[in-house]
Amino acid sequence: MLAQLIFNGLVSGLLIALPALSLALIFSVLRFANYAIGAMVTTGAHLVYAFNGPLGWPLPLAVAAGMALSVALSLLLDRLVFAPLRGRSGVTLLVASIGLGLVLENLVRLVAGNAPRGFGVEIARPARLLGLRVNQEQLITLVCVLVALALVWLVFRFTRLGRAMQAVADNPDLADVRGISRKKVTAAVWALAAAMATLSGVLIGLDSNVDPQMGWNYLLPVFTAAILGGIGSPMAAVAGALLLGVTEELATLLLPPHYRTVVAFGVMALLLLLRPQGLFGAKWVRK
Amino acid sequence: MSAELRLDSVVAGYGARAVLHGVSLDVAPRSSLVVVGPNGSGKSTLMRVVTGLIRPQSGRVIWDGRDITALDAPGRARLGLGYVPQEANVFRNLSVLDNLKLGHEFIASGGARALRERLDAVLALFPEIVPKLNVAAGLLSGGQRQMVAMGAALMPSPRLLALDEPSAGLSPLNASRLFDVVQRVAHTGVTLFMIEQNTRLGLAAADQGLVLVAGQVRARAPSQELLANGQLQSLYLGAH
Amino acid sequence: MTSYLIATLVLVVIATLSGLALNLQWGLGGLVNFGLFGFYMLGAYACSLLQMQGLPPLAAMLLALLLTAAASALVSLISVRLSEDYLAIVTLGFAESLRLFISYEEWLTRGTLGIPNIVRPFAELVPSAWRDLFFLGFCLVWLALVFVVLQRLARSPFGRLLRATREDAGVAEALGKNVLWVRARSFALGGAILGIAGSLHAFYYTYIDPTQFSTILTAYAFMAVILGGRGSHAGVLVAGFTVILLLEGSRMLAGVVPWLDGTQLAAIRLSLVGLLLLAMLIFKPNGLLPEYRLGPRSQGK
Repeated sequence: MLAQLIFNGLVSGLLIALPALSLALIFSVLRFANYAIGAMVTTGAHLVYAFNGPLGWPLPLAVAAGMALSVALSLLLDRLVFAPLRGRSGVTLLVASIGLGLVLENLVRLVAGNAPRGFGVEIARPARLLGLRVNQEQLITLVCVLVALALVWLVFRFTRLGRAMQAVADNPDLADVRGISRKKVTAAVWALAAAMATLSGVLIGLDSNVDPQMGWNYLLPVFTAAILGGIGSPMAAVAGALLLGVTEELATLLLPPHYRTVVAFGVMALLLLLRPQGLFGAKWVRK
Repeated sequence: MSAELRLDSVVAGYGARAVLHGVSLDVAPRSSLVVVGPNGSGKSTLMRVVTGLIRPQSGRVIWDGRDITALDAPGRARLGLGYVPQEANVFRNLSVLDNLKLGHEFIASGGARALRERLDAVLALFPEIVPKLNVAAGLLSGGQRQMVAMGAALMPSPRLLALDEPSAGLSPLNASRLFDVVQRVAHTGVTLFMIEQNTRLGLAAADQGLVLVAGQVRARAPSQELLANGQLQSLYLGAH
Repeated sequence: MTSYLIATLVLVVIATLSGLALNLQWGLGGLVNFGLFGFYMLGAYACSLLQMQGLPPLAAMLLALLLTAAASALVSLISVRLSEDYLAIVTLGFAESLRLFISYEEWLTRGTLGIPNIVRPFAELVPSAWRDLFFLGFCLVWLALVFVVLQRLARSPFGRLLRATREDAGVAEALGKNVLWVRARSFALGGAILGIAGSLHAFYYTYIDPTQFSTILTAYAFMAVILGGRGSHAGVLVAGFTVILLLEGSRMLAGVVPWLDGTQLAAIRLSLVGLLLLAMLIFKPNGLLPEYRLGPRSQGK
């Protein structure tokens, strides 16, 4: 049924919304395409798993602990990897993020092995809401992502930090001169990105599995979603993610499900050829 | 309230090339100094050294007797250095109100009430931008953007205001209005440091003048003297 | 022992060719080909399929070369007008999509069954005792050819233009040069070299299937370029040896350390490539060997 497909698509879009938002945020404030975003999702998910699985913590607590560790890790990595490269070209930072992604993902693979794992949650029967079949994972995803998005939006719109991020994204030199500490803003961006990546890693793990490939598999859709939104517009990336989710789901009417990646690639190629500034980007006043 | 700025034999530039070759100057508290000179004389570099956007290769920057050469731009802003850049002087994608808020919130203390008071004071200086408070700053005209930029710099009650070619791109009417505001600000005791392309306007707007040519100080005197000095042209080596 | 040596040298040549391709695209041109393995795989599959259809192996290889060049040009054109941030994900998307296509469209590619019995060029002319050595010679001829072409290119006006667009596309454009065209051409030439490498891979193993191609290949090419000094072709030659040495060395390590299984070994290798990449970027952004540059000692323009 069409409505079911669209609903499924929206939920799977929500899975990529947070990493896409992180990608767009990093691109707009730190000015580079972060190819380690997939690795951040994988690492975050595995950190949570470490608490939930072997240590047996209940999932919410494990998520909190995993997020905290993930944030600390990203701040450390920024200090070790990106701080020495501050001021270098976007391509250099991009390649550095590729290297970082390789290291992170393979360290996870080394420690955890390739076998897929799952989180300790009770199996529940799908519910029926408004004639749609909604399973437990979808419900959790809906609630968690929407809450996370609302929090992020509040930060952007109403806090000093949010204004500072927008200022640095808009004009870094002017932000300096207005007393904004680029270091603090950079740290805040990484912390937000790591937290969101971890949360989406958990949701992906609930939806399918926790394995070292998971984030890598999402690289293409996450980038496509961010590009759909206009890669410099964090909130628009969410709209891009939802649109991509629905598109991928509807595409299963025509193509077999294993070609999901191809659909994302096709959407990306079309966008870059026809409308590289994205569909939803808020009007970015260029010089 | 007012601050004193001094530069000691500053050598600065980009990469290996030095643009400023040993520039020394001082601006007394409550006074105003304008730096004039032909294109390429190093005025912009001088401004970047003063605001902390570049570090000098040698020499010192001294604020109220304290060596701030190693202090970065946000640090200097917190000391009370307000800067109005010439270009890219507003956050184009943020509203005028957000621009003004941002001018205040990372430098001054005092919470919402202090912000409100300063906002009222600044908007009183620039009534033209009041109807545009919720408009993205990038959509304003050049003159209005200049006002927002100056307003944002004034929000945290700076002790020294640094102006980068304030008349650039403005019509003669708007330029003279802007300098009126500059005068009013100076009368509140804020030290003024300006660089200006338009020699006459600049010298008319400040007590003291300094002529910078090819990265070196060629003359330093009260503005009236420099204006009356027929040799100004030759100091510029024929350029004006 | 000799056969092991010959085999290793063939792998060195193939790895070096991949490195040279990436060196042209990324080292000289600033184009990050994150989906490198996809073009390599395209070369291997095109060559094998054409040869399976009855074409003489050499002809199959030449056609594969052209096809890979064309595919590279087309893929690069998707994003080459835009900033460099996009090319990496576009090439990755292409590579992953191609791998899916090859795995699932069995009617064309035999999917995961793979393509067996690939015939090497001139196989019928060579006595069987000399087969492997002859093939090594064949590979070396291609390597020499590619190397000469690239060296000439680096010193030519096109090479200078390429470096200029890498360093500052705005300046190059202001000089009236068509940046888009320059980038597409260099990417296509790199693609041709990858097509050669892929074809040699197919001839060497005489059997290919989709599992042989993954980002690991891309990582090795990156390693060769980093170790060799970005932009320096001679450096990449040296690096090719080093890469294979490291691979063989780590394989022997696996023999010695029993608790390291295949997955973990691969993971260690890849993490090492990542670390090397980071170390190079942070400490030695210009690579280990100096790039060819017009200096005060050089003659001519």
